[in-house]
Amino acid sequence: MQEVHVMGQYSQLAVGDIYTFLEACGVTLLVTLVSLVLGTLLGTALGLVRCSKNKIISSLPLIIMEPLRNSPLVVQLFLVYYGLPMVFGILLDAYPAAILTLSLNTAAFFAVLVHNSITAIPVSQWEAGYALGHGKASTFVNVIFRQALRLLIPQAITLYINQLQCSSMISLISLRDICRIGQLVSVRTMQPFLVWGIVFALYYVISFPLARLASYLEKRVNFSY
Amino acid sequence: MAMIEVKNITKSYGDHTVLKDFSVDFDQSGVTVILGPSGTGKSTLLRCINGLEKTNSGDILVDGLSVNDKKNLKQIRMTCGMVFQHTVIFPHLNVMENLIMSPMKILKTPKGEAIDKARYYLKKVGLESKEKSMHNELSGGEQQRIAIARALMMNPKALLLDEITSALDPEMTREVQNVLESLAADGVCMLCVTHEMSFARDVASRILFLDGGSIVCDAPKDEFFGKIRQENDRINKFLSFIGE
Amino acid sequence: MYRLSFRFLENPQYQELLKEGVINTLIITFFCLIFGFLIGLIVAMMRRSKMKVLRGFGAFWVDFLRNTPFLVQLFFFYHSLPRLGIELDPVIVSIIALSINTSAGNCEVIRAGLMAVKKSYYECAAALGLSTFQTVRHVVLPISLRVAFKPLVSNFVNLILTTSTCFSITVVELMGASKIINGRVDRPFEIYLLLLVAYCCITFLISMISKAVDRKIAITL
Repeated sequence: MQEVHVMGQYSQLAVGDIYTFLEACGVTLLVTLVSLVLGTLLGTALGLVRCSKNKIISSLPLIIMEPLRNSPLVVQLFLVYYGLPMVFGILLDAYPAAILTLSLNTAAFFAVLVHNSITAIPVSQWEAGYALGHGKASTFVNVIFRQALRLLIPQAITLYINQLQCSSMISLISLRDICRIGQLVSVRTMQPFLVWGIVFALYYVISFPLARLASYLEKRVNFSY
Repeated sequence: MAMIEVKNITKSYGDHTVLKDFSVDFDQSGVTVILGPSGTGKSTLLRCINGLEKTNSGDILVDGLSVNDKKNLKQIRMTCGMVFQHTVIFPHLNVMENLIMSPMKILKTPKGEAIDKARYYLKKVGLESKEKSMHNELSGGEQQRIAIARALMMNPKALLLDEITSALDPEMTREVQNVLESLAADGVCMLCVTHEMSFARDVASRILFLDGGSIVCDAPKDEFFGKIRQENDRINKFLSFIGE
Repeated sequence: MYRLSFRFLENPQYQELLKEGVINTLIITFFCLIFGFLIGLIVAMMRRSKMKVLRGFGAFWVDFLRNTPFLVQLFFFYHSLPRLGIELDPVIVSIIALSINTSAGNCEVIRAGLMAVKKSYYECAAALGLSTFQTVRHVVLPISLRVAFKPLVSNFVNLILTTSTCFSITVVELMGASKIINGRVDRPFEIYLLLLVAYCCITFLISMISKAVDRKIAITL
């Protein structure tokens, strides 16, 4: 062991690395979770506006949604992290930059899901609500929203998993998330198979159960109109 | 030698035996209508003849070729054209392309020739105006008539028709039957599984009555609707039940 | 008030860099499109196979690729291939990693397309005398690919966006070139905004074309 240290800059994977990886998991999960919460809230708002009957109002959210959905997350991240501070003359820390970008990105995709889920509910369901004496708001809350939610949840989970994978991009603005630590440790130990194996496993362990849950819920959604 | 020889076939799905030690011959002549209650193996018989279902035992010879030999299947399927209850008009091809695909790909018929032939059969089924239509622009009856024309494109010696009007409303059923009647008049050999008694009465030459996986009665039409009906209680009940 | 300046675009040196970036992005996209589709098709066939081993492998392939980040997959190949004595150009490493990554999405889409071809289609084709190969060639594939066309295009758009990740292993594609230019002129807002707009334009163009094509080939089952 000693020799390895003396001879080269490479070192074995050490016990300390376990803590580093755990910390990294914390970073990944923190950034992802905060962004998902913010993104979901904003996305729901945008999605509801998209459902407006007024064509002009309903297309307004597209102005921010489309660029976010049709450009790479890295570019968005760099634009926010390096670009915005230049324009506004402020210093933006990596954490807020990462969370801001991921939240906006999540919101754009979430809004589409919300919009699609609501429009997927047939008009006959609205009519049924009205026929029972519900007002517009009441029909929405009691009839439409609950059905839309059942369509939405599995797709939302899939989106969340996807955003978790996307969160690895924050390593490119040097946040010490799982991916970044993997990179550092892999270079240091020269054991790419072991280190990236651990990284794969960490992401997989978080994602896979969620993916299973999503496909289970998806199968349970069995509407027949 | 009969054109189709069914020799002691047994066919079961899991524990459920549909055809038991079943034998019958079909010549290349006239229209044979296969009658019987649901689930008695009528469709299964046709599907076995065409090699779509594998029999558990026994053999079927079509023009002397065994369906048990995979190499014969192509020839057998060209000898026996088949139309189903839910026939598929291929959705990516228009009517004309549906008709000329198999002759061009299998018989290597030149395109011009295939098109001429297709027009002939489209006229025969009364749909010469639908050449360019896609499947979703056709009614159920029209789809079945196209399917009949498509089967005829391969010059089959016999047509196997598996409840082809069961999913149609009366008007469309009539259209399809008119086509079948005119084909019968032309001497096309047909094996039909059907519930349309009027068709059996008007067009059939031979009636095969199945129940419980075996033949109850195999007789010429007149005999079936006359003497046999009076004598055989089971057949009488069945015919009365479906309103004959 | 911040004043935008795109003066750097007039510098031929940077134009040259951007050109290189575009070319590399195109190269990676092109090869990944082909390989990603082919691998996806093969894995989709595996997932429909009668052999349990193949089905299991196909399912794992898709699950694994979808539940781990592309960036990690990319680094994995970049770091581990040299370890096996395979020294490849980063562009090629990117093509390998991204082809494999997109194959997962393509596999699922193709599989859904294949499932859209119901048993009755196979029976009809068989009853007409078509061989298994002819059935696949003239009936199954034309129908499933039409069904799969739209989602395949959306995978393709995704692929283009994902190529931007490859700059992280030193590939000078669009994003990489922009990063280098930014390092020299320090105009991150302009450069990345421009890049964002460029990607939006590309994807917009593709979705326009695909809509036109889809109108031609769309089928109702």
